[in-house]
Amino acid sequence: MARYVMVVDLRSCVGCQTCTAACRHANATPPGVQWRQVLDIESGEYPDVRRTFMPVGCMHCGNPPCMHVCPSTATYQRDDGLVGINYDLCIGCGYCAVACPYQARHIVHRASFAYGDQPTESEAARFDEKRVSVATKCTFCIDRIDEAKEKGLTPGVHPEVTPACVNSCIAQALHFGDKQDPESNVSQLIKENESFRMHEELGTDPGMYYLWDGHK
Amino acid sequence: MSGDVKKVPVYCYQCVAGPDLLTVKVRDGIATEVEPNFKAAEVHPGGGKCCVKAYGLVQKTYNPNRLLSPMKRTNPNKGKDQDPGFVPISWDEAFDLVAGKLNELRAKGLTDEYGYPRVAASFGGGGTPTYYMGTFPAFLSAWGPIDFSFGSGQGVKCYHSEHLYGELWHRAFTVASDTPNTKYVLSFGANLEASAGVVGVWRHAQARINGYKRVQLEPHLSVTGACSAEWVPIKPKTDPALMFAMLHVMLHETPRDKLDLPFLRNHTGSPYLVGPNGYFLRDAETRKPLLWDLKRNRAVPFDMPDTDPALEGSFTCSGIEVGADERVWQHDAVSVETSFTKLAAHVKPYTPEWAETICDIRPGTVRRLTKEYLEHAQVGATTVVDGVTLPLRPVAIVIGKTVSNGWGGYECCWARTLISCLVGALEVPGGILGTTVRLNRPAVPRQASVAKGPDGFMAYPMNPTDKQNWVSRPNVRNAHRTLVPLSANSPWSTALGPTHLSWIFRKQVPEHWPEVSAPDLWFVYRTNPAISLWDTPEVAKRIAEFPFIVCFTYTRDETNHMADVLLPEATDLESTQLLSIGGTKFMEQFWDYEGYALRQPAVKPRGDTREFTDIATELAKRTGLLEKYNQSINKGSACTRLAGENYDFSLAPDKAYKAEEIWDAVCKAASAELTDGKETQGLDWFKENGYRVKPFPRLNWYLYPEIVKQGIRFEMPYQEQLLRVGAQLGNRLHESGITWWDTQLKEYQALPAWKDFPGVWEQDTVRLGGKPEEFPFWLLTARSMQYSWGSNVGIPLMDEVSKNVKGHHGVVMNAGKARELGIKEGDLIEVRSALRATKGRAVLTQGIRPDTLLMLGQFDHWATPYAKDMATPSMNTVTPMSLELTDATGSSADIVKVGVSRIAA
Repeated sequence: MARYVMVVDLRSCVGCQTCTAACRHANATPPGVQWRQVLDIESGEYPDVRRTFMPVGCMHCGNPPCMHVCPSTATYQRDDGLVGINYDLCIGCGYCAVACPYQARHIVHRASFAYGDQPTESEAARFDEKRVSVATKCTFCIDRIDEAKEKGLTPGVHPEVTPACVNSCIAQALHFGDKQDPESNVSQLIKENESFRMHEELGTDPGMYYLWDGHK
Repeated sequence: MSGDVKKVPVYCYQCVAGPDLLTVKVRDGIATEVEPNFKAAEVHPGGGKCCVKAYGLVQKTYNPNRLLSPMKRTNPNKGKDQDPGFVPISWDEAFDLVAGKLNELRAKGLTDEYGYPRVAASFGGGGTPTYYMGTFPAFLSAWGPIDFSFGSGQGVKCYHSEHLYGELWHRAFTVASDTPNTKYVLSFGANLEASAGVVGVWRHAQARINGYKRVQLEPHLSVTGACSAEWVPIKPKTDPALMFAMLHVMLHETPRDKLDLPFLRNHTGSPYLVGPNGYFLRDAETRKPLLWDLKRNRAVPFDMPDTDPALEGSFTCSGIEVGADERVWQHDAVSVETSFTKLAAHVKPYTPEWAETICDIRPGTVRRLTKEYLEHAQVGATTVVDGVTLPLRPVAIVIGKTVSNGWGGYECCWARTLISCLVGALEVPGGILGTTVRLNRPAVPRQASVAKGPDGFMAYPMNPTDKQNWVSRPNVRNAHRTLVPLSANSPWSTALGPTHLSWIFRKQVPEHWPEVSAPDLWFVYRTNPAISLWDTPEVAKRIAEFPFIVCFTYTRDETNHMADVLLPEATDLESTQLLSIGGTKFMEQFWDYEGYALRQPAVKPRGDTREFTDIATELAKRTGLLEKYNQSINKGSACTRLAGENYDFSLAPDKAYKAEEIWDAVCKAASAELTDGKETQGLDWFKENGYRVKPFPRLNWYLYPEIVKQGIRFEMPYQEQLLRVGAQLGNRLHESGITWWDTQLKEYQALPAWKDFPGVWEQDTVRLGGKPEEFPFWLLTARSMQYSWGSNVGIPLMDEVSKNVKGHHGVVMNAGKARELGIKEGDLIEVRSALRATKGRAVLTQGIRPDTLLMLGQFDHWATPYAKDMATPSMNTVTPMSLELTDATGSSADIVKVGVSRIAA
């Protein structure tokens, strides 16, 4: 069975937030709700300082703490590794948001729009009441993954079935694919480069791999 | 989701790093999403992606703050404190007002009593508004003289010295590294990860993966510094000193064989002999510069075949020197030196130890960087491009804003170009390359503008400085032809002259200078000088003096607050235009294709907004200029000529065409041009396919082959031409009694020397009555990918995502320094120059020099909806605009001395 993961090349990422904006577009999230975000991280002291850009979001963990704490079984995990939320079941309790070590979950309790209380035409066309007072998060653009089989396309290779953030990346920092397939782009990248996963020590088995230069 | 869904291909050219090709998803007639044009990945050098700014276009389209019908002013008084009293009017009334005024002016004459054009126009964004204004350039061309010299940021916010000197030395309006082939880049403040767009980011990311090394020398740790192997926190405005020290190390601490001696000998002016008065020693008869031929053991003209030019040494020979205004010195058996020998002596004092006292960078660092540069240069290596063997020199020096403009800009541009020449890394694979031509003609391809001048260098169209031809009476208000010979006289030249001088002269005319009148009518589009220039409150006052202002308007803003008529155009996703793409363009757009891309209405224009092309046509019609307007379009002012060898889609001169008809003709001509007349698909084809290209030879990325073909030398290191031009300009000005440009005249040096460039700004603080000790910080700004050039500050999505990048909405300062001053993260602080103050929240970081502050945003808007509530500081408010801060090219830089204090809660 597939295990879809994301590979982030920290050597390439420039922190431009194009993925953030593309995700906001693709998923019609409300202002401030960024399922994909790039952190701007500083380390060291002047003048020996490093600044690193780190895309974050739902890690689609193999062992997702958010799912374990969900009292309504709204959060689920699919065989292909994707962690989803059934909005019809979610009661917006926020346990998952607390349990997630990646701060990847968002809950808004009232509709908000770019220019104030009223939606623009574009926002009105895409507004989904189901998303209010429930937990939301990155889905790895799950609808596209589901279309892959129907269309005979490969997620991470064909843009129609690849997450919007990966499609948008202007630095080739984001990659997506099936880690179970040893020939996939992500498997090759992980094999050929040094990588780490965030908070791996927590046993979450996160599905985002960060490529870096290691200790060089 | 149900409904009618389509993806509409368009382009985004909101910044100079574009165009990006994208698609807009439209559902039931409403734009919902922006995506890269995935199909374009096959031809686009950045994988067909689009930058973050493009994602703002949906919110831009549906912004409720848009003006959706024409408006007129009802309050005759203008000023920040005046309510304009705008009221909606019909397009018919709007055209009556504008065309009525234009006809009135035309009847009086195209120029006023001072000789200046009655009509002025200002466009922002590094020229990018042109890609949104449809056929308006054809209207302007039909009108006649237009004054483009009221700047909105040029010279201060651009790479100004690089534009002028870059074009002089290697047809490089801007300069880029040959990133796919380079292995080592020294970046002096070139904030490419913010400014070089999709293609720049794409290329440099790939280069990092491929193992190139980039060192970022910059006072703060920018996003580009973050993505570099090393950050060197150099003191502001001291970059020339560090480059001069590199030259010292290369010429006095490095074996000569590490340099590219054949390149210097055969492809530069290094062997040219320099006489005792500082001018080239020339053959008395032909006036050709002489070099010493080691084969014949005598001085010979530079272009004599079969010579072995001496690169170094002193020689005794005869000839003449030709100075300013044809002054000639005859020499018989005089001692002369080669330009290269002069250069070596010139940089001898500039040791790394000397530079440390200026730049605050250790000598060991300078020596190491120079050594790394030399080691990576691979002098002697070659590579094959399109079947042609070229030198391979994978080292580049790139310079950014505030380094490449204002005082010190000349010295930086010269040193950077010269360092490249020393290892043969100019205009060859791996080295530094020009991108675009703006001042020379013809501009495309870049090679077409190269012609051999009388001294063996590339001919350059300097504005005349000789007595007979000097333009003593300015024909535009910034006087670029009078004061800045290097600005040349192309259609771009006026806007690349000293564009702030128009504003300064409007306030006070200097001695012996003609009156500088307000234009009778001023067109403004996608620019907001009341916010974007220096000393913006002062600029706003000057704008308020203009009697009739016509603004093409998206939302209300600080400049159109003074307007008389507002004309709302159908904007980015609502209108039609064809654009040339590919070839080589700034910032790092190096393509293997060239052709055309279409912007088309993805959605219907909102409200009563109108296609810019239809506005232009209507104005042409109502001013009786239709024939000239159509002729201008036929000649190519709307992207490309409508007739060629095998095709003719010319517009009939007397007909007022609809926008779709015009762009259909342009599309057909573009198709024909790309296929040698074989195919003539029009607008419908482009609407479906988005773009059309043909191969562009990679060899055209490089100027070196053309230089070799024509037997031309790069005009390095000795700037004899500039020395003469400066002296002549001085003579002309002094004959007119003008001495207020004397400091600028000192820039014209054959071998530029270090001057106390930081001191220029320190002294300016004193000039304004400030005590230097009260203004201990350097205030800088930096490019932002989310905002730069975009005119998009009123778009909430940009505000939101830019907040993820540190510093966008406050004053960045060193955390240790802040602790000393009792300032904590988020404290409201006042930043005060000797001119005035601005305030913002402290953003503390380790990644900035303790003596430097940074304001990324420049958003102290007071009229632009959304932006006016952002409460961010702006250095534009506190930066003086003065002659003292203006260099010889007419530029200054985004830098000012300031003090900081915490504002009590």
